[in-house]
Amino acid sequence: MERGGVSAVSTEAVAAVVRESVASRTPVRIAGRSSWLSAGRPVKANKTLSLRDDSGVVNYVPGDLTLTLRAGTTLGEIERISGEHDQWLPLDPFGSDDGTIGATIATASAGPLGTSFGLPRDLLLGLEFVNGRGEIVRAGGRVVKNVAGFDLSRLLTGSWGTLGVITEVTVRLYARPKVDRTFAVSLGRGQKSTTELLRAIASSPLAPFALEILNGSAASSLGFGDNPTLLVRFGGNAAGVDVQLKVFSQLARTEEIEQSTWVAFRKIDGDAPSVIRISTLPNRFLSVASSILADTEPRIAISINPRRGIMRLVTRDNGDRDSAMPGDTSVSPEFPNDGQTGGASVIFEKLPAEVWPVVSPSVTSDALSRGIKKAYDPHNILNPGILGD
Amino acid sequence: MTSLSRTNASTVADRLAEIVGDRHVLSRPSELLVYNSDGLPGYRKQPRLAVFPGAREEAIAVVRVLADEGMPFVPRGAGTGLSGGALADDIVVVGLHRLKEIISLDIENRRATVEPGVVNLRLNKHVAPHGLLYAPDPSSEAACTIGGNVAENAGGPHCLKYGVTLNHVLAMTVVLPSGEVVELGSKFGERDGYDLRGAFIGSEGCFGLALDITVRLTQRPQTVRTLLADFMSIDEAARVTSAIIASGIVPAALEFMDGATIRVVEASIYAAGYPKDAEAVLLIELDGLEAEVAADLEVVRRSCIEGGARNVKVARDDVERLKLWQGRKKAFGAMGRLASHLMVQDAVIPRTRLSEILATIHAISEKYGVLVCNVFHAGDGNLHPNIAYSADDPDESERVHKAMTEIMNACIDVGGSITGEHGVGLDKMGYMESIFSESSLNAMCELRGVFDPHRRSNPGKVVPIHSCKEWNAVASAR
Repeated sequence: MERGGVSAVSTEAVAAVVRESVASRTPVRIAGRSSWLSAGRPVKANKTLSLRDDSGVVNYVPGDLTLTLRAGTTLGEIERISGEHDQWLPLDPFGSDDGTIGATIATASAGPLGTSFGLPRDLLLGLEFVNGRGEIVRAGGRVVKNVAGFDLSRLLTGSWGTLGVITEVTVRLYARPKVDRTFAVSLGRGQKSTTELLRAIASSPLAPFALEILNGSAASSLGFGDNPTLLVRFGGNAAGVDVQLKVFSQLARTEEIEQSTWVAFRKIDGDAPSVIRISTLPNRFLSVASSILADTEPRIAISINPRRGIMRLVTRDNGDRDSAMPGDTSVSPEFPNDGQTGGASVIFEKLPAEVWPVVSPSVTSDALSRGIKKAYDPHNILNPGILGD
Repeated sequence: MTSLSRTNASTVADRLAEIVGDRHVLSRPSELLVYNSDGLPGYRKQPRLAVFPGAREEAIAVVRVLADEGMPFVPRGAGTGLSGGALADDIVVVGLHRLKEIISLDIENRRATVEPGVVNLRLNKHVAPHGLLYAPDPSSEAACTIGGNVAENAGGPHCLKYGVTLNHVLAMTVVLPSGEVVELGSKFGERDGYDLRGAFIGSEGCFGLALDITVRLTQRPQTVRTLLADFMSIDEAARVTSAIIASGIVPAALEFMDGATIRVVEASIYAAGYPKDAEAVLLIELDGLEAEVAADLEVVRRSCIEGGARNVKVARDDVERLKLWQGRKKAFGAMGRLASHLMVQDAVIPRTRLSEILATIHAISEKYGVLVCNVFHAGDGNLHPNIAYSADDPDESERVHKAMTEIMNACIDVGGSITGEHGVGLDKMGYMESIFSESSLNAMCELRGVFDPHRRSNPGKVVPIHSCKEWNAVASAR
């Protein structure tokens, strides 16, 4: 625990810390297990409130496929607990399983499984949080369908702790698939062109759990050599997976790989100084994926999720600060612009501190966002600055 | 809240008529009768005015005039809602059914942008030739609008597998009650900042009105198989439901109808061939890849048989399939045969408690001498206990209300919610304090206050006004 840090073990304790912080006007940095503190804009706070010790199951009825957890519960613990009943939470954000569910929801972090299981907002049924006045608020519930009241659960998801400290979360679980297999396709010579392959997949009935295309840099960090590589994960009952494999093997030459590849892939950020996510219309990747992937820039690991319409760029810091700058680069994708819809939305996950004010000073400067922040955290003590001023 | 004086109303009517034309402003009580209720009987509120903008710019101008006049209003789609949410008590109805353009369809990216008055089924018919569908399918799909679906965060039978409206809406252009126009969400799919789109969906018309909505479309499944299992006991059907969910198979839909519902449907023009002597039927649909569905179908069939089903009938073709569905989708309509009014509820319970709750509902119906017809989304635990009655009979009305209150409280007691897809509206506002604390309700009030500081959009709905601290402070200072 760093200096000025406190760890709370209950909602009441969190509320007490927040109220004390309000009284002394001390801004608080909110942390789960502090595994991803380098993400987001610099926080102007000297005190850290950790939720790491507030963990564990509050309520789990396997037959309902719903799980209520304290916010400090790690994704690894969730996997173990739900795995005992042959269930899982199909949420695999970048980073490791040491991350907490509270932080995952707060940052709306998702990974490759988002392709078929959705984002945190889609898996979340309800939550409890402490607002910036130290009041305890509950939203949603523990049942799988619920429209009672305004949707504060969605509001808090991705609010990066700026509207409240999430203390408890209820998520929807799924049964573990009977079969779950992953394959790699090297996109080097001898394969259909990337564009052709992506088009074929897009128009097929295939429903992969995950589908990621890696550039040479990303592929080599996972041990696949320097060729751009496609990773695909099929899950479900045996008959369903078999038929998808059959279809897929007609499109490309595949090689089955270990599931642990996904674990390694999720750690691809390492201590990268910059991580940028680009969201655009999925078909825009069809035409540009080949040229993006063909680039042999070793300092930027790129993964494209053509189904979700997401490209993630991770810069490797090799001592040369320029490499950390976004916009550097041979890899600045030009998305075809049809003139109506604009190009893409760019989401910055990590940037060097000095770059934030230049590139993305704030994502909450609109009147509604400001109003909500002011209502929920009137003294601006919760993670001030992390989403901008 | 300001109530409308006659002179004031006529000035407003004139200003609105300048925007939309005389024939699209109604002010005579006889003309306004149609708008004095929604799909839920038992509540009637007479609006003072109704205005129907025919274009996006008109809708914006209308909202700006209402803002300028400080006039409260209620946005309204098709009026099929089941919570009394679209009622306007002596204020202005802003009807959006004339905004019905499908603005764009992007087949490759599976997206469509529509105006709020587009009818749900029309969108589905429009995209079907391209092998696509819009997943949320409320039973009122033939009449309800996408704008209304957004306001209510509507569900439907197929939400079990595909999710509700909030999982399918990417972006919206919204006119706030102040008249300001804002973009929420991202048509690209993802963005950072607060999820204002998520906050708006399900806000029941209290945060303003959507001018256009960009939705995600879903690839039509390769195969759809539908089966009907009939049971001689409600309890067996409930247990089979829990068993299928616990098995991990996610059916596209898993619907439950009890004996009372079956017999009403079979006596109606919507007769679907359900066995009339059964005490319960499950209508189960599986979709996906052919091989995958075939394997799951076998597991589901076995669960039904082992759980006590008399028969399991698998629809042979689309004609049979649609017939089985017709009975379910039109069940509420068929109940019109029983009495003049229908009290519809929408509670949600944990799926493992189904059998116990259905027994409780049965006991409550006997206690009050009312006939409860259960027809609901069993896979989600989303109950719809319906009671047909005559609202003109005070004694019967009282018994019905008491029975429903007990049913709702029983659902709350097992950890459920008061509404799964119909919304709180007027009807369930009284239960909000049973499931949310004072500070939670206040947090909702605060969010509303940001979107609509003067509480002019759909006032008096969703959150009881006395739960709003700041509002009370302002009111008592006056």
